[in-house]
Amino acid sequence: MGLWDSYLASFPLLLQIETFAWIATGLFLGVFVGAMPGLTTTMAMAILLPIAFFSEPLIGVPFLMGVYKGGIFGGSIPAILVSIPGTGAAAATVFDGPALTRKGQSRKALDMALVASVIGDTSSDIITIIAIGVFAMIAAQIGPPELAAVILLSLIVIAATSNGLFVKAMVMLVLGLFLGMIGQDPIGALSRFTFDVFELRSGIPLLPMLIGLFALPEVLIAAEKRASAYVKGSLNLGKEARLTWVEFRSCLRTIIRSTGIGTMIGAIPGTGQVAAAFIGYAAAKNASKEPEKFGTGHLEGVAAPEAANNAVNGPTLVPLLTLGIPGDNITAILLGAFIAQGIRPGPDLMIEQGPMVYAILNAMIIANLMLLVIGYFTIPLFARVVTIRKSLLLPLTVTLAFAGAYVFRYEPTDLYFLVGFGLFGYACRKLHFPVTPMIMAFIIGQDLERAVGQSISIAHGDILGFILFERPVALCLLLATPLLAWWMWRRTVSMQRLASKMLTEEKTRASPNA
Amino acid sequence: MMRTIFNHVAVGVLAATMGVSTAQAQDFPEKAITLIIPFGAGGSHDVNSRVVTSLISEYLGQPMIVKLMPGASGQTATAEAANARPDGYTLLFTHNIYDQLQKYTTQLPYDPLEDFVTVAQLNTVATCIVANSDGDFKTFDDLIEFAQDNPGEIEWAHSGQWGSGMIHAAEIMSRYDVRFNLTPYPGGGPALQAVLAGDADFTTVSPSVIQGLGSRIVTLACGEESDAIADDIPIYGTDLPLLEGVGVMHRIVMAPSDIAEDRLALLRQAFVDLQENDTFKSLMSRIGETESFVDGATYESRRAEQSQTFKELVIKLTQN
Repeated sequence: MGLWDSYLASFPLLLQIETFAWIATGLFLGVFVGAMPGLTTTMAMAILLPIAFFSEPLIGVPFLMGVYKGGIFGGSIPAILVSIPGTGAAAATVFDGPALTRKGQSRKALDMALVASVIGDTSSDIITIIAIGVFAMIAAQIGPPELAAVILLSLIVIAATSNGLFVKAMVMLVLGLFLGMIGQDPIGALSRFTFDVFELRSGIPLLPMLIGLFALPEVLIAAEKRASAYVKGSLNLGKEARLTWVEFRSCLRTIIRSTGIGTMIGAIPGTGQVAAAFIGYAAAKNASKEPEKFGTGHLEGVAAPEAANNAVNGPTLVPLLTLGIPGDNITAILLGAFIAQGIRPGPDLMIEQGPMVYAILNAMIIANLMLLVIGYFTIPLFARVVTIRKSLLLPLTVTLAFAGAYVFRYEPTDLYFLVGFGLFGYACRKLHFPVTPMIMAFIIGQDLERAVGQSISIAHGDILGFILFERPVALCLLLATPLLAWWMWRRTVSMQRLASKMLTEEKTRASPNA
Repeated sequence: MMRTIFNHVAVGVLAATMGVSTAQAQDFPEKAITLIIPFGAGGSHDVNSRVVTSLISEYLGQPMIVKLMPGASGQTATAEAANARPDGYTLLFTHNIYDQLQKYTTQLPYDPLEDFVTVAQLNTVATCIVANSDGDFKTFDDLIEFAQDNPGEIEWAHSGQWGSGMIHAAEIMSRYDVRFNLTPYPGGGPALQAVLAGDADFTTVSPSVIQGLGSRIVTLACGEESDAIADDIPIYGTDLPLLEGVGVMHRIVMAPSDIAEDRLALLRQAFVDLQENDTFKSLMSRIGETESFVDGATYESRRAEQSQTFKELVIKLTQN
């Protein structure tokens, strides 16, 4: 059967009312669980996996897809409203989301997140369907040296585009790298910097750290202000508060760029949604004519990470479908669901069960489109949350933050991490130290160390000769890194010059009148 | 089938909220039992536990709840279970490497052999040595021959320091007096990808993975017989002078060792009943697991001896 025939044959399999009903159920559950801080999309899928065991293939698997897509969008809801990233993937959404909420534009921000997520996800799914062979080939070319080079490149991109003083950003970056080293090292599994504290052996947990750094300072700063409402000015939830076409158009370039970035990152096994979100944000800021607006409640700042983290989803399925190798925990759960249904992913799957594979890929696209509808109707409900009195909203946020940090892995010590990072984040806010470089370095520094360690191991000691003569892809990436860094730095400098020039011009224009 | 599951869950939830036991007259268990898993969501232990927890409430009269506590090579979860009250409401779902080997490679704040007692061996998974079919290695003998002529040249991808994949390599190195270059990957999937991409010569996988990959890989040896592998593949222990326990992962359910005798007996019986359940059998076979249940008492009697062989292996390796 030709690929096109397989593709056409997939539609009758999929177009059943039950399939749609189960996708919708999955989406609802996913959005709900994703919106609950600490409950990750992976956990939701694991808990709901038995449903896939007991149902038909084109009910169980699309259902889990619904949970997956819904969960990732759901994670951005508390991130936008109360600065708590519901999942790790939403970590970069807290830069501009809560600022928009404070301006009374929570509904716009949620709309933007929804639209960007759906576009990012759908396009990456379509690209994946068209180019599944290409992605499979890329994945096969990427080994530890290439991964290390890509991660290094990302780290530079993020460092070059951070806010404020470069020195402060570098201090935070180095601190993040150090924090990432606490615990067992990724190569020899030896304990480092744990001071014999047992709880530190597994390293610093990501979610409690993220929630602490973002949510608690937000609460403290809101508490300092005397206003009784969290939202400044009046919150308008009427039709005009929705995302407008003009606003959407102005973010379209960003969405397309982030989709490209997310799709590329998804094609590289070993990175993931969190890195994609940060890089998408950094790239949008770098390309923007008004980078100073980022972080102050800029719609593009929500569109960029949301499109990027969702665009990762399509290509991550490629190693699973073509080789039967799950690249992360979510695909591992999907593998469990596939196998329970008698679908064994692998090189022969396309030949033996082509229509089924295409049906699953199409189910993803349908799930996306349905998410758009479900999101449209549920966003007003969520957006309303922040209209409650500040004296209720802040305690509620603190409760959610503690609950979220705890259920992540049921470790009471995580609450110390939460509070510790909360106070640290508050101090950083007051002293104008950016926390983003620290988080990013914390997350990808660990991957970088592992990849470098592996590369040295594979090279049998001769790392230089190995990269030079045997890994052309890694070599090119490494050579491109300083060039890109220089270019980005130049751009940032000229932008800053332009901004300050405009500022002085405005001042001179304003002064004669004074 | 769907309905029975929902009934089980509903009965369990109802019983949990009302605080009464429905199936048994005993006072244990009178609330939900927590099954701690030292791995993250989506791992094979997680998937297995989903089958167990959707069916076992029928035999316990109470639901069983999964609590995933990944981190520090299983130590976070194991410490939690070791420190829990030994009242039977906290169990640990682990494997033989964490249970019987880890204490010789790391300093642990607990002693698995002393602090836990076996409730059941749920099943076993053989691990097999595989190579990329494009390469020159077709048999186990090819591997050994090359390794003897080229010390340190063979690139072995494994899933983490002192994990199952590394123990395999370690055992072969010590038995045949050869040396491989060992590189850790973050999990079995990435290690296999390294073999397929040509970055590594060998890794270890479970038979169900071999089935999926078809002609892309060649299987050189396996820890245990399995339907998924060809008959002529050499097996550890019988065909090759390699430790059986190295090539087989035992998925085991443990309880704190101070648990009351009658409670342990009840839990053990629940698992014995569970593995005879037809739905359980069919689900397990659908997710590719073998029927290799061993009851708690039997496994307990072998545990110390298995641990001793691991100890010898570690001593041999760390001396070199």
